[in-house]
This record gives sequence, C-alpha cells and structure tokens, in this order.
Amino acid sequence: MSFRSVISAVVLLSAGLLVATEPLTKEQVKSAVLSEAVTIPTPGEFFSAMDEQGQPNWTQLYAPKSAGTTSSREQMALMLGVLVADGYIAVEAQDGQGVKNTGKEIINLAKKLNVSQSVLSRGNSINDFAENNDWSALREELEATQNEVKLSMAEQKDKDLVILVTVGAWIRGTQVASDFIAKNYSPGLAGLLRQPAIVEYLLAELAKLPDRMQKQPLVAEVEQKLKDIINLVHTKDRTPPAPDAVNAVAATMDSLVNDIAKGSKEP
Amino acid sequence: MKTPIIFFLSACLLTAQETPDSRDRGTSRSKVLELAGAFANDGYKIRDGYWSGVLEPGKPQILEVNLFAGNAYWFCAAALAPAKKLSVTLFDENGRPVEGEVFQDGSTSAAGLLPDVSGRYFVRLELVEGDKAEFSLVYSYK
Repeated sequence: MSFRSVISAVVLLSAGLLVATEPLTKEQVKSAVLSEAVTIPTPGEFFSAMDEQGQPNWTQLYAPKSAGTTSSREQMALMLGVLVADGYIAVEAQDGQGVKNTGKEIINLAKKLNVSQSVLSRGNSINDFAENNDWSALREELEATQNEVKLSMAEQKDKDLVILVTVGAWIRGTQVASDFIAKNYSPGLAGLLRQPAIVEYLLAELAKLPDRMQKQPLVAEVEQKLKDIINLVHTKDRTPPAPDAVNAVAATMDSLVNDIAKGSKEP
Repeated sequence: MKTPIIFFLSACLLTAQETPDSRDRGTSRSKVLELAGAFANDGYKIRDGYWSGVLEPGKPQILEVNLFAGNAYWFCAAALAPAKKLSVTLFDENGRPVEGEVFQDGSTSAAGLLPDVSGRYFVRLELVEGDKAEFSLVYSYK
C-alpha cells in the first residue's frame, strides 16, 4: 500500500465514517452465505472473549484429553477437534510444554488419518513457536493446522470427516467454557454461550453425513446431545442463558467430551 | 477501539507484519492480508480462514458470522481491478445495521465492531464502483 493510500486512509478514518444504511431484507438474511472457515469461530475467539468477561485461570482449566485407542475414523476426527481446542487452552495458559504435547498428539492422530505430509510439518512449526513463547503465532498456527487437516481430508475423499473435526473443537471449547461459567456465573459470561446459529449449523452439517456415519453410536450421540442443548443456548430477546441452563450445557458437554475420548458405548 | 486507531493504522500500514504467502501474491487475498496486517500490529489476531468469490455491481454478497461480546472485530475486504470501490457493512441477527467504525480506501474496505451481545451477525460486501471482480474477506479479533 502506497504512502498516499495510508494518508488517505487516515483522513477517511479521522472523518469517522459511518454510513446510515437500510436493514437487510428477510430474503437477504436467508441468502447469507455460511462458510465454515469464517462462519464458525475458533475456540481461541471464544476464550479471548472469556478473558474479557471473567479472567479464567487457564492453567487450572488446562486438563488435556488423550485419544484412546480406536479404529473408528469418526471418533478420531472428533478427537482431533478436541485436541485442537486443548491446544488453544494451552496457549491461553501460556504452557509451552503443554502446547508441544498437544501438538504432538494432533500430529499423531492426523497420521492415523493419513493426512498429507504438509500437515505433519505443522508439528515442527508448533514446536518452534512454543519454544519461543510466541502465543499469537501459535493461535494462528493451530487454526492453520486444523484447516490443513481438513483440506487434506477433503482431498483424499474423507470430506465427511471434516465437519466432525469442527464439531469436536466446538464441543471441547464449550465444555471448558460452560464448566467455568457454571462455577463463576455472571450474565456477561453466560451470554457467551448464546450460540444457537452455530449449533444449528453443526446439526445441519451432521444431517448431511452418509447414513452409515450417522448410525455410528458416537456420531448419533453427538447429534442427539446437540439437539438437547439447542434450546438452552437459544434464548429469547438476546438474554443470556440462566444458571440452570448453563449447568445443563456443562453436564452435556462434559459427558460428550468423555465419550469422544474413550468411545461411545455400543447400542 | 476508537481513539488510537487513527494513529496506529497510519504507522501499521507501513510496517504490516502479515506477509502474504508467495503463492497468494497479486491476489485479492494478498491484498486483504496487507490491510488486516495493519490491525495485527494493534494486537488483533487474524483468522486463517477466509471467504472469497466474485462481486458484481448491484449484487452485494452477505456472509453470516458468529461473534462474541467482549471481543473487538475488524472485517477486512479487498477486490482486484476492475473493482474501484468496496464497502463493508455489519448487521445484527435481525438484519439491523450495527454501529461501528469503517475504513475505506478504493478497492479495500474494513468495518470494525464491538458487539454488545454474542450471537449471529451479518457482513455485507458491496461493489460501490467498478466492474465484476474477485474479492477476499478475512477478519481479525482481540
């Protein structure tokens, strides 16, 4: 960008432009694009907002999950998402060794899912940034790693697993957040759980999975429990969820994370 | 978000940290990362994910996003020639325009917001002047 452009930018900004505009029509709202890469926030965004509202002790909240032994690719994809969220928690806790350990788990699980070599090199970057305590770069690297895993899955015809990675990360982020909020309730913090559009999006994407995947006990459990909580996070008049609702979300997310880590019971 | 932005942006646009990947050079993505990099210098974290497509006169594109109260956001967009002027406008979940800051410089534009309620929002991207062109949008938060 040229110096002239910079000056122009500053002038425009200092004018405080805010153009009055008409509301969107119902048709425009309906036609809005949903793009997973930008429509669904990262756990890092969620945690950043928690920092503003409640100042959690991230070191206490960092209790990473380990992937149990499984041959289920669906479970591995969900667990990959859980680990990505754990990586963000380790970054918030500024726990360099924790980030490295979680990064290693992510790469090991990604290898089992046969992702490309380019993803594996991300593990080295995570280590390097953790070594240098570069927390901002680590947040970007975690998202980039997750996106590259998803891209690699899509390229090798594992496209259906991609949404499960997103779901796993959201569940883990929401578990940690709702547990903290349940123990430190305030309307401001509880308002962060008001995410009906995200739950609706995840449910709509899960409904597109092939039948054989939807019938997998763990995937079916995830789908059912997301349906169970949607009304709890869909409050009227933009009000925050009540304490009982937060407790219910925390309990549901907790049981889901445990089942993802160990595998759901067979029907 | 308000007062220091004039000062930081003037300095930051000259020293933007975000270096677009060589594969992206000359694309709308490299152009938008250059703008978003200015906000990164003020502590904003840039999302790795981005939205791109083609923008035509009279056919605004609308994106759904989910934001958290407590965070500050900047939505940055850029288009290639023959686009001449872009605008980015933000709306709440009911489609009502929300108050925030805007930045506009030819075919790059940005809108900043401090949401008071968490939930669904909409970003409208519009080609104000020029012809059909490729665009990219990224957002950053802190």
